[in-house]
Amino acid sequence: MLSSEFVVRSKHINALNTELKTLNFSRAMIQEKIREKARELLSKKAVDLIIGFGEGSLPLRATPLFIRSLEETDRLIWNSFCENNLSTYLHKLSQFKVGLVVKGCDARSIIALSHEKRFKPDQLFLIGVPCQRMVDRRRVKKAVKGEILRAHEQGDQIIVEGEDFKTILKREDFLYPSCQGCIHRTPIKADVLVGDPVEEFPLIETYHEIEEFEKKSPEERWKFFEKESSRCIRCDACREACPMCYCAECFVDSSNPKWMEKGLSPQDLEFYHIVRAYHQTGRCSGCGACERACPMEIRLTYLTQKLNWDVKELFDFETGIDAETPPPLSTYEIEDKQEFIK
Amino acid sequence: MKWKLDKKDFKPFLQSLMVEYDLFAPVQLAEGVSVYKKIDRPDEVDLSSSNTQKPTKEVFFPQSETMFRYEKTGNQHQVTSTEEVERKRVILGARPCDIQAVLLIDQVFSGKEYTDVYYVNKRKATTIIGMACDHPLSPCFCSSMKGGPFHREGSDLLLIDLGEAYLVELLTEKGMTFQKNKFFKEALAKEINSAKEIEERATKKTDGSLPVAGIEKRLDQMMESPFWERVQEKCIGCRICTYLCPTCHCFDIVDEALTNKGQRVRNWDSCLSSLYSQETSGHNPRPTNRERTRQRIMHKFNYFPKNFDRIACVGCGRCIIYCPVNFDIRQTIKEIQNSILQNEK
Amino acid sequence: MEDHWEPKILAFLCNWCSYAGADLAGTSRIQYPPNVRVIRVPCSGRINPLFILKALQSGIDGVLVSGCHPGDCHYLSGNYIGRRKSATLKRFLEYLGFEEGRVQFSWVSAAEGGRFSQVVDEVTQDIKKLGPPRRFVKTSVEFGVRSSE
Repeated sequence: MLSSEFVVRSKHINALNTELKTLNFSRAMIQEKIREKARELLSKKAVDLIIGFGEGSLPLRATPLFIRSLEETDRLIWNSFCENNLSTYLHKLSQFKVGLVVKGCDARSIIALSHEKRFKPDQLFLIGVPCQRMVDRRRVKKAVKGEILRAHEQGDQIIVEGEDFKTILKREDFLYPSCQGCIHRTPIKADVLVGDPVEEFPLIETYHEIEEFEKKSPEERWKFFEKESSRCIRCDACREACPMCYCAECFVDSSNPKWMEKGLSPQDLEFYHIVRAYHQTGRCSGCGACERACPMEIRLTYLTQKLNWDVKELFDFETGIDAETPPPLSTYEIEDKQEFIK
Repeated sequence: MKWKLDKKDFKPFLQSLMVEYDLFAPVQLAEGVSVYKKIDRPDEVDLSSSNTQKPTKEVFFPQSETMFRYEKTGNQHQVTSTEEVERKRVILGARPCDIQAVLLIDQVFSGKEYTDVYYVNKRKATTIIGMACDHPLSPCFCSSMKGGPFHREGSDLLLIDLGEAYLVELLTEKGMTFQKNKFFKEALAKEINSAKEIEERATKKTDGSLPVAGIEKRLDQMMESPFWERVQEKCIGCRICTYLCPTCHCFDIVDEALTNKGQRVRNWDSCLSSLYSQETSGHNPRPTNRERTRQRIMHKFNYFPKNFDRIACVGCGRCIIYCPVNFDIRQTIKEIQNSILQNEK
Repeated sequence: MEDHWEPKILAFLCNWCSYAGADLAGTSRIQYPPNVRVIRVPCSGRINPLFILKALQSGIDGVLVSGCHPGDCHYLSGNYIGRRKSATLKRFLEYLGFEEGRVQFSWVSAAEGGRFSQVVDEVTQDIKKLGPPRRFVKTSVEFGVRSSE
């Protein structure tokens, strides 16, 4: 079973067509507003540094950019390749005031982190970008024969060029799995929004992939997970890319108790992914940074999305929606469901 | 005299190899993801991608390798080492950059002082059939690293894709033993010329302009430079670059044990892990990402050249392609070379 | 060999209620299947999902987690926290492809010796029906963690 089986449900994207027509204009405008805001913050010395996105060194890539001077603000960009969750950098910047460019999911991670007291209240300035969803560069690569040498966006199209080809692709056919069902694409608690808020996606459609997967038998489901996790090379990129993974000692590195070995035994690879996903229960914003970081293209968000669905169903909780509601596993209700307990 | 192998004979050729040799070749694990594995059937071989994720070094230096097993029954101990290699091996489809990297780590695993039997035994038993890169990718900078898409050093045989057939160059004594192979036919002049053209085109494509001359000396003076704080900012500290790098060779040895039996295992390790240099006292000489990324770059471009007279990089481009944050070593090299040093101010 | 297979079931029992209940079953001489191995924990809320996963990986045939009834927790709310963890973990394990019933949960009080034996009986029958675990168990040809052979 290949990851391409989990494909966007186009009728929901069609409903957002009007928004797509203004895509080009709004992207350029957003980029300019990000730069403006960065200039303002740096010149007022309201922040020590700004973390945003800059031009990548390869086609279809953007790269995290750390800037501290006004001259550098012109390097900030905004496009459909700004796929990283920049809030993961906050853990090593606790002594600085940081201006951060955040998409909807990144802003939710920030709220989740604030529950866990990972930064001081006035330490951050969030430059919120209503997100048009990010493009899956690996699927784009596989859609053409030959190396992509140049790529750019135009409206709702991605135009890729190689040595002897130029192909126009429909952007909405190449979104990341985690973006396909994203509900809250407008950052919820940003200090400033650099674009018009985006329409919210209906909740029930978000978990279509989960529904389909649950129709399979336990054996089929396990086979899929076994196959995906078997490619793992223990690089821990999923863990490092995730803003919620910041434990001083990860369970992986614990030698007493030793939960798992350091090698590639299939059961250890499975153990790692089961536990890393489970540790996100009630904390995961669904940003997909884990899946995008993986060099072996392992499907990971289908696990975390299930956990997100369950906390919604069981405890009516969605990560990062408000700063007041405590994370679900840190609290309880007397009437919590318990039909599964003898 | 040059030989060729028609593509229609390719699978039968592999089948015939497998009678005598254990065959290791790129195998597709998922679309766009391939690694070297020992193959059981010729149709498992996948040579369609420019390069595998995990490099050729894995055939000699597996990511997770049991060194020996032990079992105690009663008063008897039984120890079984895995250092012996039972059958001869062939690696098929290795790219010149990966082969160049194997030569590089040969100096580490079978150097003047130390011989790693696990590595060396596999190495001695292996014939390398390289595959020249007729379509190098743009991140490839092998030509800047004393290599190139058709670099022949280290290959016993080199295959060049001509479309309907492979041109076969027999480069070493081991390679020459394949002369009598029934699937090899004499190559025509036009095929040999075609191969030359492909080689010229491919060599032009790779970046040979990266300024690496003198980088070792420059780095000598940069140990405490603020450059390191800046360059590591976006690095998230995962291990992708080290695990996919064909020249990286660090490892960790662990014992996996039950009461009466167990095994000693060697696993790849990475200097980018915080635990890599963690001492039992609690002190860590490389406490932050700054020290660790500095060490990685210094090792490749300063320490290794000091010990082994060459830069520990073959320009395969994997660290650039797979880095989640698009850290680009080419940019880092340029910044190092352009940095203004204290004595130049 | 399969006919004589007796499942090994790990039971995490909270010290104040379920473990006491199990003890009462013993002192009352109530018969129940001997397949259960008990690990005593202070509270069902102490259960780390890694315990359950490690047990499954080691080749255990079934896991039972048992605590105080809601409202009776010795630590006031430990079992409520544990309830949320149990709910999410159970669903996640089934989603991954573990068989339903491999991991089970119960509330057993210190006075419920008979009920404890009933729960153990039910769980044992369920596990016997499921058979030995066929996924996630760490074994290798030469080196096995599961040593039931």
